[in-house]
Amino acid sequence: MLLRYMALVVSCALLVMGAQPAWAQEKSGTKPGFVLPPGSAKILLVRPTIRVGAQSTGGMFEPNADWTAQARDNIAAALALAQTRLGNQVIVAEEPVGPAAQAMADYRALFSVLADSVMRYQFFPGNRLPSKKRKGVFDWTMGPGVAQIARETGADYALFLSNQDQFGSTGRKFLQVFAAFAYVSVKSGEHTGMAGLVDLKTGDLVWLNADMAMGGDVRTPEGAKKRVAQLLEDFPGSVAPATPAAQ
Amino acid sequence: MKRTLWLGAILLTTAQPALASNTLIVAQAPVAVAKSPMTVTPDREWNKMGARPGRNSESWTIDGDGLNEVTFYGGIEADRTLFREVSKRTMPLPRFSATMLLTDIPALFEASYRIALNTPVMKIDTVAPTTFLGHKAVQFAFTYSRVDEEVRRRGDAVAAIIGGKLFMITFDAPDIFYYQRDVAAYRAIVATAAIAR
Amino acid sequence: MAVAVAVAVAMLTGAAAQAEPIPNLPPYGGAYQPQGVDERGLWMEFDEIERSFRDSTVVINDASLKAYIQQVMCRMVGTARCETVRLYIVRNTSFNASMGPNGMMIVHTGLLLRARDEAKLAAVLGHEFAHFELRHSLLRFKHSRTAGDIAAWAGVAGAGAWALGGRGAYNSVRMAQSVQNAAIGSTYAHTRDQERQADLLSMAYLRASAYDPHCFPDIWDRLMDEADATAQGRRQRSTRYDRVSFFADHPTDLERATTLRGLAVAMNKPGEDGKARYDTALAGWRAQLFADQIKRNDFEGTDYLLGQLAGAQWSTDLLFARGELYRTRGHPRDLAAAVGFYRDVVARDPTHAEAYRGLGLAQLRSHDAAGAEALRTYLTMKPAADDAAMISMLIQ
Repeated sequence: MLLRYMALVVSCALLVMGAQPAWAQEKSGTKPGFVLPPGSAKILLVRPTIRVGAQSTGGMFEPNADWTAQARDNIAAALALAQTRLGNQVIVAEEPVGPAAQAMADYRALFSVLADSVMRYQFFPGNRLPSKKRKGVFDWTMGPGVAQIARETGADYALFLSNQDQFGSTGRKFLQVFAAFAYVSVKSGEHTGMAGLVDLKTGDLVWLNADMAMGGDVRTPEGAKKRVAQLLEDFPGSVAPATPAAQ
Repeated sequence: MKRTLWLGAILLTTAQPALASNTLIVAQAPVAVAKSPMTVTPDREWNKMGARPGRNSESWTIDGDGLNEVTFYGGIEADRTLFREVSKRTMPLPRFSATMLLTDIPALFEASYRIALNTPVMKIDTVAPTTFLGHKAVQFAFTYSRVDEEVRRRGDAVAAIIGGKLFMITFDAPDIFYYQRDVAAYRAIVATAAIAR
Repeated sequence: MAVAVAVAVAMLTGAAAQAEPIPNLPPYGGAYQPQGVDERGLWMEFDEIERSFRDSTVVINDASLKAYIQQVMCRMVGTARCETVRLYIVRNTSFNASMGPNGMMIVHTGLLLRARDEAKLAAVLGHEFAHFELRHSLLRFKHSRTAGDIAAWAGVAGAGAWALGGRGAYNSVRMAQSVQNAAIGSTYAHTRDQERQADLLSMAYLRASAYDPHCFPDIWDRLMDEADATAQGRRQRSTRYDRVSFFADHPTDLERATTLRGLAVAMNKPGEDGKARYDTALAGWRAQLFADQIKRNDFEGTDYLLGQLAGAQWSTDLLFARGELYRTRGHPRDLAAAVGFYRDVVARDPTHAEAYRGLGLAQLRSHDAAGAEALRTYLTMKPAADDAAMISMLIQ
């Protein structure tokens, strides 16, 4: 009885504060020995995969065009700013046509499968693979063929981004509190993001940042800035933002 | 987070007992697979998945079952399915029959994948005779896609019917890069496969 | 709390549609543009689906087949309406077609296999267009959300083993509770009403077209019979008659067939079935569609369907498909029957190499050494066949 009461108190407190769960949901990894000196490389920014919607009490994802359009604009703007902090020149990938479009689609799809594998089998406990659990190991690749998506751009690296937001409705937040009585854990909303840097010479994934509980409301410019900052957290070779006077 | 589903993850849609954890398979050491008399000796390190596709089968991977997966079928008996039913009432899987000819195995495999993964796009590309586990065998290549995933997948398989039971080893990987890179490791496993008498 | 839930459920279950006359065909105002946040969101979701769908491996890119089906669409709903349709043909063995609110229409090859003639295909395409014209996708989406909410609340209140939140409350419910069942039922009841409305509007299209209105009810009879056959083969109960299957998306097929037949008779209008045109257009695809259907592992349903397609006269390709079906299931009596079917095929068409292959394999599997001879004949006819080496090994 006491335990249930405690659970209710904690849930209410969390509801009021809008806090994230305490356990680790974010992780990044870097290929051993990888460094990216500032100003040393060109980075191709591949079109991010962005999905924003609401999550009804029943768990249905409701796409929201206005939110997604806002998020795309805000994230693009935030990325434009954040690019300067990547310490290197950034080229935004153009939408290819014809056969090149198939290659781009293939590699964006492969990135999703690859990043999912990193999360599932290396980053987060539950089902890790023994060969990936070893200390200091970060051995993932998309294969050298990925260079074709950057043909004629002169880019050295490609940055892939994937982002999904489901905002829990008020109904769902109340459900969470009520569920605490039944010792049932109900997730409210999903805010998952992945950012990965690929070396175009080898196809190796040199850096991946994955986060299943991202902050920042991407429907607002400030929130998108925060989100992009989180996605690019620990980006290798990133430099501190320029001081206001210099902008 | 969108859940990508490949063959190994059919398990996520069916009731599962507590999952065993994934274990390491060391290189150059013979090991029995799929709770059967079949043994193989890999030429490199693999990971064995704790979750099994079915009663007499087991899966190995290097980087994760969505990127490279070898599946062993160790003596599937007559009237059994290749792997666990996904939706037994509405989409039952076909069953192995001891009277089957080797030419029937690719068809059994194709129908099983089509139904289990609910994909209309699964094709057997080539079929050829070979030897496996000291018996006449069939080897075949296939390509498929899942409708909710944009990655094109490719695979190889080799199968023999021994004592009225089906023994088979298959390989699945995305067509982009991973199939080409890892099919050799699969073939190395197959070349060492032996059956204890 | 319980009272509130009961009221909500009552709100969702509207009065069933009364028997209505066929509406007059309204003038078509052009493609609908989404308004409001919900509609735009749904449109965007469908646009995204269409974008990734266009290059998908499941989409069939046969230009002449696509052009033919588009023509059928126009003959059915008229030029003004059919211009808003973007058609995609998809490899899928189920009898289905569906239309998104943004104008994309998906036709499954399973429908093309079962339609038998142009008029029946037109009737189903018209039905899907009717949903589009009546904007049902949007309304259905809105309704599902409310019903899902109720189901989720009921689950928690029951403090049962409620699985962690995911898509679609009905997927994760393990312990059935009566409130939940009622709420889930009403989601589908709403869809049933919409199906009735769409059926009526498509009868209006039929009336204005050159097609025979009886074609529409006929489809449902045969679908029911095929479903009966499938259920019998799986030793399951069939759900055809007046008991409304709980999760049935459509009004029971029997009710539907009866209603539509009554309307067709009342219409008293002659029409064409376009069978000759249809057979020509599908000729190149039939073998593939039969093969896909056989891979469904539904022996009785497929056997029934092949029989229906044959009618009084088994064509060579239907006989061959039947041989393949029986040989695939492969019980001893099936193999004997298959041998008979293949023999019939080669009697009519001695150049049918695949039939010799099937015959030989069926015989070998029955331990009949005569199979080797049939396979040799196959190899002589098709020395470069994909599986020539494999077949050679079998007869060594």
